[in-house]
Amino acid sequence: MSIIELKNINFQYKGSKDGSLCNVNLNIDEGQTVLLCGASGSGKTSVIRLINGLIPHYYSGELEGEVSVAGHDIKKTELHELAGTVGTVFQNPRSQFFSVDTDGEIVFGPENIGLDPKEIKTRMNDVVAEMDLDEILGRSIFDLSGGQKQRIACASVAALLPNIILLDEPSSNLDFDSIELLRGIIMEWKRQGKTIVISEHRLWYLKDAVDRVIYMESGKIAKEWSGEEFTSLNEDEVKSYKLRPIVLEEELIRQIRGDYASAVCDVDNAIELKDFFFSYKKKTYLILKKRFKESDGDLLNLNIPELKIPKGKVIGLVGPNGTGKSTFLRCLCGLEDDCKGQIVSDGVTYKGRQRLKLCYMVMQDVNHQLFTDSVKSEVMLSMKEADEKRCDEFLDMLGLSEYKDTHPMALSGGQKQRVAIASALASDAQILLFDEPTSGLDYSHMEKVSELLQQLAASGASVIVSTHDPELISECCDYVLGLKHGKVVYLKANRKQH
Amino acid sequence: MKLDPRTKLFMIFVVSLIVMMSATTPILWAIRLSITLIPILLLIIEKKYAAALRFLLAYGTALVLTFFFLSTESEGIFSSLLIGYCGIVVQFMPALITAWYVVRTTKIGEFMSCMQKMHVPDGIAVSLAVVMRFFPTIKEEYSSINDAMRMRGVMLGGGNVLKMVEFRMIPLLFSCVNIGEELSAAAITRGLGGEVKRSSVVELKLGAADFFLMAFLAAATVLFVVLKYFV
Repeated sequence: MSIIELKNINFQYKGSKDGSLCNVNLNIDEGQTVLLCGASGSGKTSVIRLINGLIPHYYSGELEGEVSVAGHDIKKTELHELAGTVGTVFQNPRSQFFSVDTDGEIVFGPENIGLDPKEIKTRMNDVVAEMDLDEILGRSIFDLSGGQKQRIACASVAALLPNIILLDEPSSNLDFDSIELLRGIIMEWKRQGKTIVISEHRLWYLKDAVDRVIYMESGKIAKEWSGEEFTSLNEDEVKSYKLRPIVLEEELIRQIRGDYASAVCDVDNAIELKDFFFSYKKKTYLILKKRFKESDGDLLNLNIPELKIPKGKVIGLVGPNGTGKSTFLRCLCGLEDDCKGQIVSDGVTYKGRQRLKLCYMVMQDVNHQLFTDSVKSEVMLSMKEADEKRCDEFLDMLGLSEYKDTHPMALSGGQKQRVAIASALASDAQILLFDEPTSGLDYSHMEKVSELLQQLAASGASVIVSTHDPELISECCDYVLGLKHGKVVYLKANRKQH
Repeated sequence: MKLDPRTKLFMIFVVSLIVMMSATTPILWAIRLSITLIPILLLIIEKKYAAALRFLLAYGTALVLTFFFLSTESEGIFSSLLIGYCGIVVQFMPALITAWYVVRTTKIGEFMSCMQKMHVPDGIAVSLAVVMRFFPTIKEEYSSINDAMRMRGVMLGGGNVLKMVEFRMIPLLFSCVNIGEELSAAAITRGLGGEVKRSSVVELKLGAADFFLMAFLAAATVLFVVLKYFV
């Protein structure tokens, strides 16, 4: 008996062609675990939204066909009636929490459907025990890491005891160890007999968990495999579908987790970093702040007495969440005033604010760093001296010429990222920093970013990329820099695939 | 010490009321000052020393300036600016700091439970809760945007005040709208907005501290109004 039935679905969002669906038929049996894969914009998220009713009740558009979920006709069912039946874990941990504290978040769903407080407490205790959440109870959501947030999101969905659980790119912002925990949660749900639908780009962590794999292409179901067929696809077949790898090499896993003996290789043509110490726990005298030193030891969140960064290369910055990768990037480009590190390049020493001119960081959420009303003025804003010709060159190089006069906020995510890269180029920075540029990107977009990074390095800049993406590292990094507890563990040359 | 959200709401009400009515005699000033001290004491109890100290400094300076250096005869642009500044600090800061204290120390669950006890409709309670939930988000977004501006060297908007505001507000509005949209989608899928009356795990109980504080606040209000209007 199918618990989810999509019959002859045609759907188009209001005012957008992206993510529309075309003649989709899909039946999912009770207790099955189904993976939806395919490029961005191929309609994976739209399928998820059809099953949880957000289409057509929240995201409006033209919908034809029939959707039935656990006996409910979705078109005629109010969203809140589905709350105990379908649960959804969303992609972005930042925007799926209603409460500010973790406890409140877990009980939020049960409270909404008016359950008895006693029953809610039992459910909460069960979920907390099941997912091992004791240590993150009673905390503010804003102090949690991405992985911890995603576990709370899973718990808050599980507390409603839904039979159907949907996950929309749940691993996008997670590091390797957090993905392993997420996998554990999915396996537990599977064992409990829940029906699970996962839309995802990263495939390796799901390979033994899924019963069926649906491959989507421009709004259609283009291919279907059983779990076993999918796992036995060879590397070339996977590549031909523009999917990310199903099997991760041992080597890559060790690399991404930073499991290497400490060894820092010597670099000839390098930019030198000196005295990069920083801690979030401020040591203050009454008024003046105390300078951080190497002797502060464990207090430090970043502890790098000296480091040589190769010029004109792409350097992958790896290590688990919360190990100081972002802190390193922020200190390097001078955003943390309390870090008094110096950068020596070509015999010139840059201190304090001067570092801001030497470095440019492309942030994970590029929406935060686009300010003007057209792509062109965005690039010109970064230039020390306005030069339209160079601006046009950059836009050409990044394939943005046709969007010259478009408002940056009207572009797609990938295009926005390229605008940010164009303005990084225009700033003439010698060190370009990227914070998780490929989280949540599909294979072909990841490849494009990796090509761009190599181009940037070829033009002479040092490119430092903080990432959890093993494929990005094997595609484009010349060196891998491993951090652990704020210290450099290793810097080594990387064997690229191309 | 844990105060009941109802006490906190009452406190916001009383502090705003008393601070907004002008104090004319020394005894009225005394009441007003003691009411202003309550949120400061509470902040110190919550170990928010920096906030308490900063508020105390700003408020104290404004008071001293108003009493000793400014009078109705003050003239000139500088002193009128100063009068404006002091007026704003003395009139609004106490209410603001109380509200800040309440937002910082009240969990959303407690707040919802309190609203239910007071029989406020779910719709209003949920909207207010979302506003509370959004403060830290706005702060987080704002600081990322600020970082981006520093990095691109446009902190001062190229010397253009309008640009300075525009560069901050436009990305902030875009991300808040996006987050708000995703947030409500996530909340709806977990049953928010149903016809069922919400329940609440948080059990609220008024304690001794609550009764004491409420009695004190009520007495101060009555005393203030009587002394001001009927004596």
